[in-house]
Amino acid sequence: MAIINQATKELQVKIVYYGPAMGGKTTNLVKVHENIQTAQEKGKLVSLATSSDRTLFFDFLPIEAVAIKGFKTKFQLYTVPGQVIYNTTRQLVLRGVDGIVFVSDSQYEKMQENVESFANLEDNLRTLKMNLPDIPYVLQYNKRDLPNVAPVEYMEFLLNNREVQVPSFGASASKCEGVFETLNMITRMLLHKFINESGRKPA
Amino acid sequence: MATLPQLIEEDIREIDGALNDLLTKSEATSALVIDKGGFLITQCGEVRRFDFTTLGALAAAMYAATQGIASLVSEINFSSVYQQGENFSLLVHNVDEHCLLVVIFRAQISVGAVKYYSLGTISEVARQLHSAQSRTPGEGFDLSVLNIADTADLFRKKQA
Repeated sequence: MAIINQATKELQVKIVYYGPAMGGKTTNLVKVHENIQTAQEKGKLVSLATSSDRTLFFDFLPIEAVAIKGFKTKFQLYTVPGQVIYNTTRQLVLRGVDGIVFVSDSQYEKMQENVESFANLEDNLRTLKMNLPDIPYVLQYNKRDLPNVAPVEYMEFLLNNREVQVPSFGASASKCEGVFETLNMITRMLLHKFINESGRKPA
Repeated sequence: MATLPQLIEEDIREIDGALNDLLTKSEATSALVIDKGGFLITQCGEVRRFDFTTLGALAAAMYAATQGIASLVSEINFSSVYQQGENFSLLVHNVDEHCLLVVIFRAQISVGAVKYYSLGTISEVARQLHSAQSRTPGEGFDLSVLNIADTADLFRKKQA
């Protein structure tokens, strides 16, 4: 549900970071906010969190990409709360989503949570009358710097074992490794989708 | 999910006209139209005073949460949300399936007056959005000018 505003030559896109609790979704946004080149427009990072720093409603970061052929492309990055009890909130944040980054936790003991969270994402999209295969999404295998991580091949088997495989990235969000690679890939996929869709319309 | 139509200059001009009319009549400070996903569509009034991008995202989320509460008390819909402040107050009102009207006004101004004048604005904004929706697809914007195949990464990390 991206907005194309010809009057202001703006394309506005919503990307949601989804995944299990404590997986590093908020850290991804914090690192983008801290490390993005300042020549590009960046907004304030808004965190609606509990006193223990867990995301309560969402985190929100508006950023603007380099202008492409006179078009301003504005991206709104959101996270959802990972805790199971906040499912209604996750549904609210997913409303109008254009692209999804699924942030999984690479530690062996988190595999069940990863799989459950992915299934929950599919369920929530269905509730909103959306279908995951129709939405550009990428997978991020976060926390690769920890000692007890599962091999990437195993995570691919668990989370990316579908008819169409999506791009996936190993990451250590706390060190800002893999964060920009993930963001650039979902952005690229989204823009290609819009271009293809607009190309199908008669001129 | 149905999407908001592409908006052309005429749409924005008409919507801005309706918002400016509302500001004149109600003496409100700022008015904006946002989509329910949290995007800012257009804004009028004192546009430099507030961070409208963030305000739009938060207001859309607040309205969505209110709709969740409505369903819990067997209401189909709470059509508006009012937040009273000491300096400024805020009214968020449903426009149509996709959009919301947000009005920021000084706390001394009566919310009743703002609500009353907002109803006319909502009809005008809804009418314009409907007209944009029913426009022929041929008038849509060709995004193929956005050739990103040969561009470098869109977001760059600062060098340490």
